Amino acid sequence: MFRYESLEDCPLDEDEDAFQGLGEEDEEIDQFNDDTFGSGAVDDDWQEAHERLAELEEKLPSAVNEQTGNGERDEMDLLGDHEENLAERLSKMVIENELEDPAIMRAVQTRPVLQPQPGSLNSSIWDGSEVLRRIRGPLLAQEMPTVSVLEYALPQRPPQGPEDDRDLSERALPRRSTSPVIGSPPVRAVPIGTPPKQVAVPSFNQQPVQSCSIDFPPPETSSWKGRPMWKVLCPKPVHVRPPVPPRFPAPYGERAPPDQLCGVPNSSLLGHPFPPSVPPVLSPLQRAQLLGGAQLQPGRMSPSQFARVPGFVGSPLAAMNPKLLQGRVRQMLPPAPGFRAFFSAPPPATPPPPQQHPPGPGPHLQNLRSQAPMFRPDTTHLHPQHRRLLHQRQQQSRNQHRNLNGAGDRGGHRSSHQDHIRKDPYANLMLQREKDWVSKIQMMQLQSTDPYLDDFYYQNYFEKLEKLSAAEEVQGDGPKKERTKLITPQVAKLEHTYKPVQFEGSLGKLTVSSVNNPRKMIDAVVTSRSEDDETKEKQVRDKRRKTLFIIEKTYSLLLDVEDYERRYLLSLEDERPALMDERKHKICCMYDNLRGKLPGQERPSDDHFVQIMCIRKGKRMVARILPFLSTEQAADILMTTARNLPFLIKKDAQDEVLPCLLSPFSLLLYHLPPVTVASLLQQLMSLPQGTAAPAPSNPHLSTVLQSKFGLSLLLVVLSRGEDLQSSDPASESAQSNPWTEVMFVATRELLRIPQTGLAKPISIPTNLVSLFSRYVDRQKLNLLETKLQKEEKGESMDILVQPCSE
Amino acid sequence: MNYMPGTASLIEDIDKKHLVLLRDGRTLIGFLRSIDQFANLVLHQTVERIHVGKKYGDIPRGIFVVRGENVVLLGEIDLEKESDTPLQQVSIEEILEEQRAEQQAKLEAEKLKVQALKDRGLSIPRADTLDEY
Repeated sequence: MFRYESLEDCPLDEDEDAFQGLGEEDEEIDQFNDDTFGSGAVDDDWQEAHERLAELEEKLPSAVNEQTGNGERDEMDLLGDHEENLAERLSKMVIENELEDPAIMRAVQTRPVLQPQPGSLNSSIWDGSEVLRRIRGPLLAQEMPTVSVLEYALPQRPPQGPEDDRDLSERALPRRSTSPVIGSPPVRAVPIGTPPKQVAVPSFNQQPVQSCSIDFPPPETSSWKGRPMWKVLCPKPVHVRPPVPPRFPAPYGERAPPDQLCGVPNSSLLGHPFPPSVPPVLSPLQRAQLLGGAQLQPGRMSPSQFARVPGFVGSPLAAMNPKLLQGRVRQMLPPAPGFRAFFSAPPPATPPPPQQHPPGPGPHLQNLRSQAPMFRPDTTHLHPQHRRLLHQRQQQSRNQHRNLNGAGDRGGHRSSHQDHIRKDPYANLMLQREKDWVSKIQMMQLQSTDPYLDDFYYQNYFEKLEKLSAAEEVQGDGPKKERTKLITPQVAKLEHTYKPVQFEGSLGKLTVSSVNNPRKMIDAVVTSRSEDDETKEKQVRDKRRKTLFIIEKTYSLLLDVEDYERRYLLSLEDERPALMDERKHKICCMYDNLRGKLPGQERPSDDHFVQIMCIRKGKRMVARILPFLSTEQAADILMTTARNLPFLIKKDAQDEVLPCLLSPFSLLLYHLPPVTVASLLQQLMSLPQGTAAPAPSNPHLSTVLQSKFGLSLLLVVLSRGEDLQSSDPASESAQSNPWTEVMFVATRELLRIPQTGLAKPISIPTNLVSLFSRYVDRQKLNLLETKLQKEEKGESMDILVQPCSE
Repeated sequence: MNYMPGTASLIEDIDKKHLVLLRDGRTLIGFLRSIDQFANLVLHQTVERIHVGKKYGDIPRGIFVVRGENVVLLGEIDLEKESDTPLQQVSIEEILEEQRAEQQAKLEAEKLKVQALKDRGLSIPRADTLDEY
């Protein structure tokens, strides 16, 4: 009920124009209106059709009751009756008090000027029965034109009056998607899930060629109190599916609301390229609507309004028409049960469908394709736009069918796959145009001004691939493998600042909020707590948060700095100095962040740095930053690390990320002067300064030695020192070389240290033996070696003796 | 025609048989007939396949329209290799029965677990009270 009411409420301008266009040309003329300007006016004579309808309706009373329960037999009998029988039956079907139905009354009312009929409708609107009887009369007399394939998709319409026709046609949707157009076999049988006893069915089945019926459901709603089923015949050939009650949503829940249905044809005609109101998946009715002929430019229709009529699907239904006209009942039978079988037996999962199609439609296939162009469907009952779309679509489909049958994207290279594609009658439901449309949207999404920023990983990956292929090319001079690259359009992205609509001189603002103009939902006020309230834990937490924040800031700086090289290459000559300055500045900032610069202070405590180093991300970041720092800065970092190494090692126990620092450190070491190296060693081993007596135990050193990173770093430092020593002949002799002094102490410490679970170093420098041999005698050297050897459980000996690096 | 090399586009998958896994756990197998920019899918001759252990059952479903956001993953089915599977196909009734049994067993195990935790004074909040994401 609501549907009808809402349709009433819908602006029916177009409908009105259509039928009043003849008389009222001053009014807004709907140029798309088929009935006035298009084929509807020329080809279809809706007036006659309506007359026919009216007469049929008259004769349709009260036969409803008799037809309950006739079921399948009636379907078979579709074509068996002659017109006379029809008339009789129809007369039984119409109920007397039908015209108390507000719907009908309204429908009749709004169509005061219908057609110049004998005993015209104009006279008494309220004399409904009279009117309707007359309407139906002429209908019967006429020869039934064949119906288009698509109308099989459409449930019955009540042709009570033109407006009613239209309204109800739009509302009447089948319960299930039984559209014959796409993807399903033509609907000949009762669709799955249709309740077994449809009162509609009997009426339907009683129709001969020239009838179809629509029925209103039994009285369930208030407006239908006490009203039995009422059938209206319309001049359509058999619509095998039981007609669907056009207005009650109860059994047929999935129908689109009438306003949407009204909206759909309108929106498409208004030429929105991708009307948002048109859902990608259309209801069967909408699909059928769009299939209707319409004088639209193809570009105006959204690709989603496709509803291609595959020839295969179309033909069996079309086959029915000539046969119906000839009144051959039996021809109907094979398809019907065949398709019913199709529906009842679930299609197996393996392809392809055509192999399972019942034999019924098959034979018709060849004949009917040729007959397709000859059909002149009777679409009078349809909404004018609907009809227009229907026709246009039909024509298109005819063309396409000729061209595209069997063609289309063939991705498969295997023959069986190609066979499947060839035999697949449902292939290319998605037109090339639609595919292009989707890919166009996807390409649009890829547009960017800075692909490196927007699509970093993709760009990097493809660069790598290219390098690889270039490398391969160089090696093996095979033919150049052309790898198709996606060229994304580089479009300058304009910054659109959205300003919500404001009317001048109006009080207040619009309350509309959208994605661009979001409404402030919550007034969140930031309150900073006073220092006194904070407990120790909170302070710790805050400190950690601050550290994390600093890490993030520094990381952004790092990413920028790393990017400068690329930018440098892309930039113009005069921009380059500026870029360099920026880069330097950023590097300074990074260092300051790391060391915790505080204004007006000497280099502060290591605390800040240590905090950063306690966090896994911080360590990795430091490793990445080191190459950019100046030598002094980097040396400072290294010293601090060495100084605090045991603590860091302890904190790193879970992350185990410290080893990542080894390589930048080693790199750095090669640039350091000997003095620095010496002091570094001191720090690392926490060797006693000067000639102070060594402490009984050296926990610092033992911790360092027990960590993989620590030991490796130590070895690297030692190795570097040795290199320096050996490479610098001048220092060879000088005994007061700081390095030498340190080394003496170092070796003493090393000998002293208990051999408890020493770690396995990452790499062992090759010159350790020579290093130690300088400072210790043979015996101690052996001791050292065994110590080192013990670490790696036998590997180190080989490594020491036969220098090799991991 | 290679539509968009180097990207993941469904255009080349059209009219091929696919297996689609949905967010609610269902597995659909059907011919991909149409797509759109949201990766909404139209599947034709769809079959819902239920797997329990080594057995599976197919329920024919007809045409499916799947909203893109509900798809977890989808992949093309190689028609030649499709039948070579160690899994055994059974009837729908049987697989539904198996599924019911499996759900039952899972529920009971869950109950036992919760009970055991409760005995120890622990509790794990139920999934439906947590945020799904």
